[in-house]
Amino acid sequence: MIPRDDDRVPAWRRYLRFSRGDAASDVNDELTFHLQSAIEEFVAAGMSPSEARDAARRKFGDVDEISQTLYSLSEQRERQMERSEWLGALKQDFVFGLRQLRKSPAFAIVAIVTLALGIGANSAIFSVVYSVLLQPLPYAHADRIVTVAQVGAKDTLNFVPHGNYLAWRARSQSDFVDMAATWGTRTFTMLGIGDPTPTSVTIATASYFRTMFIPPVLGRYYSDDEDRDGAAPVAVLSEALWRSRFAGDSSIIGQTINLNSKPTRIIGVASQEYVMSPPAERMWMPLAPPQSRFADFGDHELRVYGLLKPGVSAANAAAHLRAIETPIAQENQHHGYDGGIAVEPYVDRLLGPQKQNLYMLLGAVLLVLLIACANIANLLLARAAVRRGEIAIRGALGASRARIVTQLLVESVILAIAGALVGLVVAYVGMRFLVTSPASIPRLQNTTLNVPVLLFTLALAIGCAVIFGLVPALRAARTDLQQTLRDGGRDSRTAARERMRGALVISELCVAQILLVGAGLLIRSSINIQAVPAGFDTDNLLMVSVGLPTTKYATPDDWQRAFDDMERGIRAIPGVKGVAYAQVAPIYGNGWNWTSFREGSDGHDDGSLTTDMRSVSTDYFSTLGMHLLRGRSFTVADGPDASPVAIISRSVAKKLFGEDDPIGKRISNGSVEKPAWKEIVGVVDDIHGNGLAEDPFPALYMPASAHPNPGMTFMIRGGVAPTTLVPAVRQAVAAVDPQLPLSGVSTMREAIGAQLALPRFNTWLLGLLGGAGLLLAIVGVYGVVGYFVTQRFHEIGVRVALGASSGAVQGLVVRQGLMLAGVGIVAGIPLALIATRLLRSFMFGISAHDPITFAAVSVILGAVTVAASYIPARRATRIDPLEALRS
Amino acid sequence: MMARTPVDLLHGTLDLIVLKSLSWGPMHGFGLARWIQHTTNDVLQVEEGSLYPSLYRMENRGWIKAQWSLTENGRRAKYYKLTAAGKRQLTEESRTWEAVSGAIAKIMAARREPA
Repeated sequence: MIPRDDDRVPAWRRYLRFSRGDAASDVNDELTFHLQSAIEEFVAAGMSPSEARDAARRKFGDVDEISQTLYSLSEQRERQMERSEWLGALKQDFVFGLRQLRKSPAFAIVAIVTLALGIGANSAIFSVVYSVLLQPLPYAHADRIVTVAQVGAKDTLNFVPHGNYLAWRARSQSDFVDMAATWGTRTFTMLGIGDPTPTSVTIATASYFRTMFIPPVLGRYYSDDEDRDGAAPVAVLSEALWRSRFAGDSSIIGQTINLNSKPTRIIGVASQEYVMSPPAERMWMPLAPPQSRFADFGDHELRVYGLLKPGVSAANAAAHLRAIETPIAQENQHHGYDGGIAVEPYVDRLLGPQKQNLYMLLGAVLLVLLIACANIANLLLARAAVRRGEIAIRGALGASRARIVTQLLVESVILAIAGALVGLVVAYVGMRFLVTSPASIPRLQNTTLNVPVLLFTLALAIGCAVIFGLVPALRAARTDLQQTLRDGGRDSRTAARERMRGALVISELCVAQILLVGAGLLIRSSINIQAVPAGFDTDNLLMVSVGLPTTKYATPDDWQRAFDDMERGIRAIPGVKGVAYAQVAPIYGNGWNWTSFREGSDGHDDGSLTTDMRSVSTDYFSTLGMHLLRGRSFTVADGPDASPVAIISRSVAKKLFGEDDPIGKRISNGSVEKPAWKEIVGVVDDIHGNGLAEDPFPALYMPASAHPNPGMTFMIRGGVAPTTLVPAVRQAVAAVDPQLPLSGVSTMREAIGAQLALPRFNTWLLGLLGGAGLLLAIVGVYGVVGYFVTQRFHEIGVRVALGASSGAVQGLVVRQGLMLAGVGIVAGIPLALIATRLLRSFMFGISAHDPITFAAVSVILGAVTVAASYIPARRATRIDPLEALRS
Repeated sequence: MMARTPVDLLHGTLDLIVLKSLSWGPMHGFGLARWIQHTTNDVLQVEEGSLYPSLYRMENRGWIKAQWSLTENGRRAKYYKLTAAGKRQLTEESRTWEAVSGAIAKIMAARREPA
């Protein structure tokens, strides 16, 4: 039984290779052969044919069952083979692609570096987007955490008074698992370990840690009993503070530290994930509201959070709270609220404002990557022209079109993956840079290059490969075999290829136009903001805050004396031209919002308005350089026992008194029933005290001596650079009490800068991206115009031979570039008009359709295109006609 | 002729038998069945059909290769042939088999009762 060599499969069956029928008939043939042979054997042994058939079947077993098994086994084999065939082909393509790229290292390096920058920048910005926006909040049941706020007359969400919060919490237990409140973050003095250190303390209710739960790192959170007025003070440390101040020592739990002169027991360490924005080192202490606060419906101080019960919607909870709030609002009408309540998912409140900003940046950086892809597609088209011969031969040798396209795409994928790998380095550097941004973006500090970022990078790489690789690959594979071989490998379809390349460069210019217009608008807005006159002199102004511990400084008289002593000491420092203090310095923080009304008003009509209340020392206006429009400034005579006085800003005077002279008139910021009348002694100009980008606030100034507070901020006008005064100021304060730390030391310029950090950051980044887009577009223009010259080598030679001047030749080439720029710019303008609409909220003092910016960008694009075309144009003038004609 | 009870083959033993049979040269399924029957003097009565799933599985694993060829009588039959991987597998399995059967033989030849 020696088999003769034969083909494996009959020729006709090859055509059925991929049909299921093939495997089945193979099995049938094989089993039929077996049974037939067995029957013949039995017949030869003397059985009748029918006996033989039965015997053969008996000996064989269940034919149907076995053939079923064999079918499925051979199908399995088919699949296996297809897979390994495909993998083998892919591997081959990979090896071949690598070899091709090694053959032209210059092309490979240019493409990989371009992609690395483009992909890396995208990954860096995406890492921030992921960390800030996409990553779920770290709390248990984060999707049910909401913020609760009152809705005021102007539809603004406000801080909530203690009374309202306590009433809501007590009566909304059917909707909420719990409610919590925080009362801002303030600076306490920590004593006992080295110098007195200012430490940030967030005041939060005990329920805060239950409403937003993350298990403690160490110890526990405080209980409701510890969150009562009169309870012994306790504190929870942030992990960062615990590690830096207490060296991560777990025996700190239960120990007592001195905080604002009070012994305070440390009971736990909270996860760092509670800290959404700097400072990372902080503590939490109980709110412990005194009894007197329980009926306070006027001081808007608390941020309120709630954890909804499962299945309760925010809208339902809001409706129920409204029913609780309405009677409270009616009893306290003068506070200007009518019972409006807003319940919003916490994640929206926290991250909503960041969305537009970050997605804008992500969009911009994606546009840059698109330009980069277009450039690489252009390079690939140029390469395809060179490789036409090779591709035609592969086609002639039987490679299918799909196979050629796959091969070329694999080359693109290799480029993109290599670009992405190098891009990760760029991403890391970029991410480190973004994280150091002074702009306060929640969770920015926690940004890392994690798995989602890596997946995004990989997806981006594959996406890029398809974008820049598919069109050139499809075009290359369409090559007409006979035509190419007849041309001896030269391209006979130059025109189509040139159109394609031209279209790519035009789209690059379009996209660059969008980026540059966006950057231009942001830059102009930024300039506009900084050009806003603050209304006071912001130069050489140093600010320093001091907080007095009330255990040591018990009475308002003590406070007054201490601050006056410090003021005197600071004034005596050489180089100090003036000093004043206020509870809240301008730019530094917001004052208290209170409804004020003139005499004769009922507190609701146009004789009332919400004012920003600020208590200031006597030299406040002169030190800040504010214009006193009428009347007088405060004097030492306006003390706590003198008849109450106030100074109003110009906008308050205009609203309440129109053209009348307000001096001597009375204004109240108390309730209508119990007005707290103050005589107006002066009018000062409005200032942009809440920030240059904000409107000037309507201000009600009161003498600090009549409204004492244990915390004050000194404003020191220097005749010299203000930061050089800091050591002397420190000494002057220490001379009064060596245990008092200075906090919030900064110059007014720095404070303004910090406030503008986010817009400046956006401007800077978008400017950088616009620049990158422009540079890539220039490279694109240069490449296409250069290629034009190469293609027309012969034609230009003829022109020169016929006497064309070098100017005419240059004109011919530069016109090519200008044509591209013209189409690109004209097509880009409407696109940019649409895109910049998304930037509207970032604009300041400028329209998103600002014609000057649009015109300037168009001129810049045109000019750089001419410059980029000029280099190949010069080359064209140097073409030697003899050489050109001979070639 | 004495009556014989067909012996049930241990799982995996059929593979070893097939590999060993093919080590002499390519064979088709029917030939393989007959060869096993004759060589063992009909002790091992393999249900012939069960030979084929075993062959297909080994083909999928790459131990044997199938090829359509013509028999001496000019009929088309599918011939199976050992591959290099199949030869390695055979060596390995026969080593295991010898170890096991040697051990069993020793037990069967034991003269002392277990302590």
